[in-house]
Amino acid sequence: MISSVLFGAFGILLVIGAPITVALGMAAMTAFMSIGKDVTTMVQIAYNSVNSFPVMALPAFILSGALMQGSGISRRLVAIAETMAGNMAGGLATSTVIACMFFGAISGSGPATTAAVGMLMIPAMVKRGYDRGYASAVTASSGGLGIVIPPSIPMVIYGVTASESITKLFVAGVMPGILIASGIILMNYIISKKKGYKPQTSDWSFKKVLVTVKDGFWALMAPVVILGGIYSGFFTPTEAAIVSIFYTLFVGIFIYRELELKSIFKSLDSTTWLSGRVLIILFTAQAFGRLLVQYKIPDAIAAWLLAFTGNVYLIWALIIIFLILVGMFMETLATIMLVTPVLLPVMTSLGVDPIHFGVVLVMCCEIGFETPPLGENLFIASGIGKVSIEEISLKAIPFSIVEIASVFLVAYIPALTLWLPKLFGY
Amino acid sequence: MNLKRIATKSIYFLDNLEGNLCKILLSFFVILLFVQVIMRTVFQNSLAWSEECSRFAFVWFAFLGASYAARLGAHNRVVFQFKFFPAIVGNSLQIFADLIWIVFNSIMTVKSIETIQGMIRYPFHSPAMDVPMHYVYMLFPITFTLMTIRIVQTNILKYVLKRELKDVDDISSEIEDIKHDMKIEPEEGRTV
Repeated sequence: MISSVLFGAFGILLVIGAPITVALGMAAMTAFMSIGKDVTTMVQIAYNSVNSFPVMALPAFILSGALMQGSGISRRLVAIAETMAGNMAGGLATSTVIACMFFGAISGSGPATTAAVGMLMIPAMVKRGYDRGYASAVTASSGGLGIVIPPSIPMVIYGVTASESITKLFVAGVMPGILIASGIILMNYIISKKKGYKPQTSDWSFKKVLVTVKDGFWALMAPVVILGGIYSGFFTPTEAAIVSIFYTLFVGIFIYRELELKSIFKSLDSTTWLSGRVLIILFTAQAFGRLLVQYKIPDAIAAWLLAFTGNVYLIWALIIIFLILVGMFMETLATIMLVTPVLLPVMTSLGVDPIHFGVVLVMCCEIGFETPPLGENLFIASGIGKVSIEEISLKAIPFSIVEIASVFLVAYIPALTLWLPKLFGY
Repeated sequence: MNLKRIATKSIYFLDNLEGNLCKILLSFFVILLFVQVIMRTVFQNSLAWSEECSRFAFVWFAFLGASYAARLGAHNRVVFQFKFFPAIVGNSLQIFADLIWIVFNSIMTVKSIETIQGMIRYPFHSPAMDVPMHYVYMLFPITFTLMTIRIVQTNILKYVLKRELKDVDDISSEIEDIKHDMKIEPEEGRTV
C-alpha cells in the first residue's frame, strides 16, 4: 500500500517533468500524510540530511576542481600525459586515457575531466591524423574515469547516502579505475593498429618530457597532496578537499600566476548552484529512503528477486543492466541517491559488501556519461571536437563494451574492490 | 533618472540575492575549515566552535543554493519523453509540476514555522556555541519561500516575457570560456 503511494507518486511526478527532488519529496510527503504521520518529521530530515561534516566534502571537491581549471594545474597535468605518448600505435590516444587518470586523481567529476582533457587532446590528436569522431569518442569514454578514480564526487554522495566510509570507497575505486583504463588503452591499441594511427616519433624527445614534468611539478603534486593526505589518514576527505582548494589557490596565484579573480568568482558561482541542487535531493531522497526502510520495501524486493532466482551472478547481471539503463536517462548523483536506499539493502541481504556495491554503482553511472540520450561527456566532446553526438556515440561503442565488461568483472570478483582497502587496513 | 538607476540596481541586487549570499557563506566556511585544519595539524588544538559554525553556514548555504538553482532553472528533470509530443504538452505539464513544487514548498514552510514555534517554547541550544537552535532553523521558512518566488519568477520569464533561460548544464556553449580559463591557444584551421 505505502509502496504504491511512494512509487506511484514518484513515477507520475517524474513523467510530468517535475524536478527529481520534487518527485522524491512530494512522494514522501504524500506517503507520510497517507499513514497519518506528522509531516514535521520532514523538517527534521531536511536539517539532519545536510548537517553533517562528511557532506561538506561535496562543495569542497566541486570548488577545488573548478579552481584547478583556472589555476593552470589542469593544463599542465594534461600536457605531461601528452608528452608521454610513446612509440606504440595510437600513442596519443593512450596519453588521453592517462591524462584522464591523472585528472581523475584531482577531480571528482566526469564532464569536467572530459572538458579539461578534451580541450587539449582532441585538437592534438586531430593534428596527428586521428579521425575527429574517434578522438572525441576516446576522450568521452575515458572522461568517466574521473568518477571512478578517487577522489570522486559520486562516491562522496554514495558514502553519505549509505553511511559508509568515504575513505574506504576512495581506496576501493583505485583498482577498478585502473582496470577500465587498461581496457580502454587495449581497445584503442587494437583499433589504432587497424586504422594505422602511427605515432610520429620525430617530435618526441626525453628532454621535452623532462621540461614538461618540471613545469608541471606543482600540478603533479596536487593528487599527491589530496590522495596522500586521505590514504595516510592524515586528513578526512572533507579536510583533504579543503586543503586542495588552498593548495590550488596558492599554486595558481603565487607559483603559476595564472589565476584571475574572475575565475575564482565563476568557480564559487558554479559550486553554489551545483551543490544547491544536489543537496536538496539529498534531503528528499533521505525522506523517501526512510519510508522505504520503515516499511521494509527493500526486503520485499529482495524476497521477490530471490523467488525469481537464487543465483547471485544472475542478480548482479539484472542489477547492472537496470543501473546502466537508469544511468542513461537520469543525472548521476540523483541516480545514486535514488537507487541506494532501494537496492543496497537488497544486495547486503544477499551478502554483498556495501563498498563493493557502491563501486559497481559508480561504475554503472560512469557508463551513463557516454551513452545517449543523457551523456554529458558526449555533449562536451561533441562541442570540442565539432562532430555530431551520433558519430561519437557510435565510435564510443567499443569502449562502452570494454567498460561494461569491466563492470561485470568488478561485480563478479569482489577482491578487485575489497582487496586494496583490506591491505590498507580499513 | 536617478530613481530609475536605483530601481535597476536594486532589482539586480534582489535577482542575485541567494547567489551572492551563497558565495559569501561558501567562502566563509571553506576558510573556517581551513583554519581548523591548520589548528589541528600545526597547533594540535581542535576548535569545537569552528566545526559547528561552519556546519551552520553550510546548512544555510545548501538551501539558499537550492533557491539559487531554482532561479537558474538548474534542478534536474527527466524531459526526454516530451520530445515525442508538441511543445505545448511538455510546457503545460511542467507548469503543472511547478505548481506541485510550490505546494511542497508551502507545506515545508508551514511545518518549519511550527517546528520553530516549538523550539521557542522549549528552547534548546547548540552544544558548542550555545546558539538557540530556532535561529538556525529560520533558514527553512526563508529558503522555501524564496524558492517559491524563484519558481514563479522563472515561469514568468519563460512563458510571459518569452525569455530564453540558459541551460546551465550545457557546457558546450561555454567551451570558449573554459579555453580562456585554462589559457589554451585557439585551435588553428577548421572553424566549425
